[in-house]
This record gives sequence, C-alpha cells and structure tokens, in this order.
Amino acid sequence: MGATMVEKILSSHALDRQLRAGDVVVASVDFAMVHDGRAGNALKMIEKMNAKALPFAHRAAFVVDHFSPPPNAEAANTHAAMRSFAAAHGARLYDVGSGICHQVLPEGGHFTCGDIVVGTDTHSTTYGAFNALGTGVEGTDLSAVLATGKAWFRVPETIRVELSGRLAPGVWAKDITLHMLRRLGAEGANYRALEYVGSAVEAMAIDDRMTLANHAAELGAKAAILEADAKTEAWLQAHGAAAPRPVRADADAHYAEVIGIDAGSLAPQVARPHHIDQAVSVAEAGTQRIDLALIGTCTNGRLDDLRQAAAVLRGKRIAPGVRMIVTPASRAIYLQALREGLIETLAQAGASVEPAGCGTCVGITGKLIAGDGEVIVSSANRNFKGRLGNPRAQIWIASSATVAASALTGVLTDPRGVAGGDWRVQ
Amino acid sequence: MSAPSSSDLIRGPAHLLGDDVNTDLHCSTKYLPGKDNAFVAARAFEDLAPGFAQRFEPGGIIVAGANFGINSSREQATHVLKLLGCAALVARSFGRQFFRNCINNGLPVVECTLTGLDEGDAIEIDLARGCVRAGGVEHAVPPLPAEVRAILAAGGLHAFLHAHPDWRL
Ligand code: SF4
Repeated sequence: MGATMVEKILSSHALDRQLRAGDVVVASVDFAMVHDGRAGNALKMIEKMNAKALPFAHRAAFVVDHFSPPPNAEAANTHAAMRSFAAAHGARLYDVGSGICHQVLPEGGHFTCGDIVVGTDTHSTTYGAFNALGTGVEGTDLSAVLATGKAWFRVPETIRVELSGRLAPGVWAKDITLHMLRRLGAEGANYRALEYVGSAVEAMAIDDRMTLANHAAELGAKAAILEADAKTEAWLQAHGAAAPRPVRADADAHYAEVIGIDAGSLAPQVARPHHIDQAVSVAEAGTQRIDLALIGTCTNGRLDDLRQAAAVLRGKRIAPGVRMIVTPASRAIYLQALREGLIETLAQAGASVEPAGCGTCVGITGKLIAGDGEVIVSSANRNFKGRLGNPRAQIWIASSATVAASALTGVLTDPRGVAGGDWRVQ
Repeated sequence: MSAPSSSDLIRGPAHLLGDDVNTDLHCSTKYLPGKDNAFVAARAFEDLAPGFAQRFEPGGIIVAGANFGINSSREQATHVLKLLGCAALVARSFGRQFFRNCINNGLPVVECTLTGLDEGDAIEIDLARGCVRAGGVEHAVPPLPAEVRAILAAGGLHAFLHAHPDWRL
C-alpha cells in the first residue's frame, strides 16, 4: 500500500520504515516558530525544562506579530524577553512591524518542500502551501525541539480534497474553505491532515495556495499539504530557501475520505456571525448592512488581497459611515504594495492602513474596533463571539474581494457585481 | 516500555461538563493582564458550571462531550487543570492541540462517550487495556499507544526527556 504526503514526510524524518496513520513517532524538526502571543509560555517552559543546552535554537524564529506595536507593558516586556533570548541563543528575531509569523517564515526562506515546521500557533498549517508539514505545537513541545531537534507526532489520517476545474473570476481559495466548512463543519477534520490537489490548485497563485493551507486550521486539521510545482519551487528559490525535496502521495495511498469539489461552480461565500461553518453564498446572505471592513491576517493579508482590494476601490470612495482597515501581512508585502501604488489607492478610497502584523485579527491586542451591534466583514479566519473584543459585535468572514466590494457599497456585496471585482493576478 | 504500570489505572469521581467546551470558557479570565494560573484555576469553567473549581477535589475526573478544548492552542488550559488536581479527562472528542498539551503535561486524555452519569459517579480508566468503567458499564476505547503512555507515566514530556535524553520511541 502506498503512502500519503504526511506519511511520507514523517517517515523521512523518523526511522527507516514507512509509517502509517496511527503510528506514534519521534521525528526530527527542520524549523520552529514562536510568536509573541505564546512566547511568554514558551520561555517559561524552556526555563522549566532546564535543558543543558539548546543546540537547535538557531533553527527557530521568534516573531513579534500579535502585539505589534505592543499595547501594554506586559506585551512590551514579553517582546524584550524574546529579544534577549534570541540574542543569547542565536534564534532569528522578527521584531515589531516585520509581519505575521506565517508570512515571514516562508518569506525568510526558512524551510522548503518536504520539511517539518512546527509553530506555537494553530495556523502553522500555512507551511503546507509549500509542500511542507506545518503544524501547531505549544511551549512544552517547543522547548523539547530547541533542546533535542525533535518532536513526537501521531501520524494523522488524511482527507484528500480534489479540486477540479478552476476558480471563476471573483472567487478565491477563501471561498473553497468556507464551502468546505459548511460541508464538514468546524473541526470536521480534527486530528487529520488534508491534501489539496487538482487543476484548481495548480491554477492558483502562491498567495491563494497559502490561504487554502492556512484556513485548514478552522477545519481542525493538523496539517494541510499541497503538491509542489514549478511555481512553488520558483517562489522558494526566490526567497532563498534550501533545495526542495518535493513529496507526492502514492496512487494507492489510503485516505480516510476523498472529497471532490468542482471549484469552477463555486460562488463567493460568507460565514455568518459567530460560526465559521455557517457559510452561505453572498447572494443567500440577503441584504446586510456593514459598518467595518477589514482586510488582513495570516489568512488573507497578502499582496494579492491588497491588489484585489485596490482593483475594486481604485478612484472610488468607500461607502459613507463605513470604516475600512487594511493590515499587510508582512513588511515585504507593505513595501511592494507601496511600490505598486496600492497603499495610496486604498488610503484615497478612505481605508486606514496599519503596520504589518496580526493587526485587527483578534480582540486581545488592545484595539477595540467595533461598537455594540456593529457589523464587521473581515477577511480573517475566525468569527466567534467576542473575537474582536466586543461580544455584541457581529463578524462576517469573506474573501478580500467580497470585503472590498462590501466596503464600496456599505452592504454585503458579491464582488462579481462590481468593477474590478473579477481581478486576478496573471 | 509497554509493560502495564500502576499509572495506567486511574480511579476518581466524575465532574460533568457538556459539549464544545472551548479553552475560552475553560479559563475565561485568562486575558486579564497580570492574573496568574492560580487565579484562573479558581474560576475555571465558572461561566459554564458555577462553583466548579470549589467543588472539584484533587483526583477528580472531568467527563465531557464533543470537542473539549477546541479553539485555542493555549497550554495554559492544561496547566489550569493540573492546578485543580484533575486526574484525567474523558470526552467524546478533544481539540487536537489540547489533546497534545495534556499528554505533554502528564494529564491522561481518553476519547469515550459516557452518558447518563451523575456528578460524582465513580469512573475507572485502564489506559493500557483501553477501557473505561462507569455506572456499571465497561466501554472499550482505543488504547493510547505505549509511546504516549510512557510520556504520561513519566509525568509529562520534560520528565520523560530527562530520563531518556537519547529520545527515540
Ligand atoms: S493573523 Fe490572526 S490567526 Fe493569524 S497568527 Fe495572527 S492572530 Fe493568529
């Protein structure tokens, strides 16, 4: 019997035998990430572990992104501790304004196809866009990785998702995931890995592939892995990554489930407030006023998101009374957006642009952005009650195309109905 | 490493919680700046089951429904349960990261659907054999792999690594 991508990657990092779903194994880890939201605990666990040395710390990045810039002394003190640790142990530090962990790791060339990357964050699945096994861990695991270069894993079962056709203009990887959430339910892929394959994935640009792998976290997935192709390898090479070791599943691999989706027939989706799996098409959502439009986060704060928003808003103004906040996922994206004139276009349209980082994703950052009863449409990944700090606000989740179209009109809007809503990078 | 040990057998009274107990409900006061785990533990599950932390005695077993511990990868949720003296958790399913954090912190987690129990009913878990006894019924569960039980038996990943510096499972 053949093996899935996750079985192959774990096998290549462990013993000489081919592992199967259900096996428990100690595997070597290629790179590790800690962000400031969890660095407090991670540093505590590193101290508690009391290891003789941390020889693998130079293969870790400490990323200041959640509280960037810090809203209080506690966060600022955590940042100071991260800086000292990184300097003392040779870890890579990404300081205030560098960007979100899941964006700066691939941009920094820290891993390549076939690698195992662990991060103290659920959305570490993002690295799967580059044919790597990316998965979330916590401080105890992290401390063990820095000391031993290894982590224990239970080899997950895999759900293979075959995406046929190609996405229509105005429809994005975000819409595929919202559709999957409606079908499988939140946590519907708990403990499992996802393999996304098919012509629709091949047609996607890297930015959209990252959305697909990232957003698998809402499905509860342990990992989400895409195949590598010429686009993947060119991107990795351009960012200085090591030579790729691409992995493909065997034709006779065993899957827990195989799901087929005709990507070409999908319409833009939105998740209703408080439940990420209550997704409907924008048309089904009916007329819905919005007060705030947010573009950013590790799910949809990339260059193509900004280009898409600018294509919709170029030479126009967002609807009166609507506030729009755009947060580039990294400084590299911010700079490129400046060069392309996107920041100017968005600012002229009435949007506020924040420094790169997690920005308005979560309500713990000291930015309370919505009042009671206000309605938000966001390109983020989570919309449970209180996610943005006010349980009396309503959060709809949608693609950047839908968010920009809605900012323009002031009501939830299908991007295919507005000029520029069908933008796609060529 | 796979020989049955006394740590594979756990007995204690059930403390019931429902479905979808996420780590925000678990420690809803966790975001208050400057509050330590002891503060959070004293108010654990307060919004869900008032007085839960005060009723809970060391050695108690938490029994819950589907998706226990979802939403957040915070290890703090596990530390809070350790502070309460929780001996084990039995739930229909767990959030992935929460499950992992429990193992790493030496807290046994068992996937099993238990219904019709009353608060305080006796529970017995045999990790090696893979069974849970409650209310006079024995439920078979997939046994935890020996490698995972070894981490649990050591009291968590740190203790295990100090005993096995050449880590291989
Ligand atoms: S952007 Fe949001 S979901 Fe992504 S790492 Fe930051 S806080 Fe988490």
